[in-house]
Amino acid sequence: MLQFNFNFVLEMINLIVLFLLLRHFLIGPVTNIMEKRKALIESGLKNAQDAQDDAMKMKKEYEEALNGAKQESVAIIEKARSQAKSEYDRIVGEAGEKAGSIIESAKESVRVGRENTMKELQSQIAGLAVASAAKIVGGKAEDQDVYAQFLKEVGETDEDTDR
Amino acid sequence: MEELNCETVFTLPVLGGISESVVVTWIIMAVLVIASIILVRNLKVENPGKVQLALEAGLGWAQDFFEGIIGKENRRYIPYLITVLLFLAASNTIAPLIGFKPPTKDLNVTAALAIMSMCLIEYSGIHRNGMKHWIKHFAQPVPVVAPIMILEVVIRPLSLCMRLFGNMLAGFVVMELIKTVVPLLVPIPVSFYFDIFDGLLQAYVFVFLTALFMNEEME
Repeated sequence: MLQFNFNFVLEMINLIVLFLLLRHFLIGPVTNIMEKRKALIESGLKNAQDAQDDAMKMKKEYEEALNGAKQESVAIIEKARSQAKSEYDRIVGEAGEKAGSIIESAKESVRVGRENTMKELQSQIAGLAVASAAKIVGGKAEDQDVYAQFLKEVGETDEDTDR
Repeated sequence: MEELNCETVFTLPVLGGISESVVVTWIIMAVLVIASIILVRNLKVENPGKVQLALEAGLGWAQDFFEGIIGKENRRYIPYLITVLLFLAASNTIAPLIGFKPPTKDLNVTAALAIMSMCLIEYSGIHRNGMKHWIKHFAQPVPVVAPIMILEVVIRPLSLCMRLFGNMLAGFVVMELIKTVVPLLVPIPVSFYFDIFDGLLQAYVFVFLTALFMNEEME
């Protein structure tokens, strides 16, 4: 039972062969699979982290864009308001000017009309004066009433013109 | 007493007698290899089956266990240690499971295992720290201990060999005696202790001490 013989060399060879076989058939494949799964999980975690980072970055960008849009809209409204105001001012000013010019032209036409009337009147007066003078020369101033009437007429026209 | 003998199964012309333990080792090897081929057939990275999960849990435990002793940088020695663990677990518990005499009850088998362990221990030290350091470390911490350190190279595998051999032989002898005295029922619980528990414990102790010595040598 305690013999020590050549079988011990055979056992060592057996052990080496068993080691090679098990490494090839059992430990190698299983370790390989476990490493692969580990790599898969690690890459999955990394992908998730990357996706989260991307999402956060995009959110920040959107927020910035939204902020910019708000400011821009405020600026646009402000600009439109100022434009509308200047347009309003211009239109009101133009209307005022136009009204002024219309009044001016109305005044002018009134003045022209009056001048024409006055000229007519003057020519009539001159005619009258000539007629009256001829009368006076012809009739030797026989009627005082004619003078008086004439003077009165002239005075009245004068007063009218002065007014 | 004939149970204790390692019978010669057949004789080869040049090599001489092939003992029973060698044949049983061949059977264990065949069983282990076929079992691993069957178990490893359909490995999947995603959605592993129950068998694969059990396999991975077992091997993962063994790898973590050895990594904890010899460190992550010496992973290359782990497959051999796992092989020895599986072989010892199978051969120590083969008596109640199949009925063969355990090969580890033969001194040749444990001596072969121990000499392989010795080679691995010294090789790991030389590979890690170089030949010079390996020769120098015999004289440390003081040169006076050099004979003891040199003796240790032989004593470590000798103790491994004798511990395993003694335990398995004693367990086998006790079991045979009990079977002779009370052949009915009583051997069952005793067999659980001497064959299963002690067998697995000795397998664990053998690889644990081998890994521990390797770690010691690699420092």
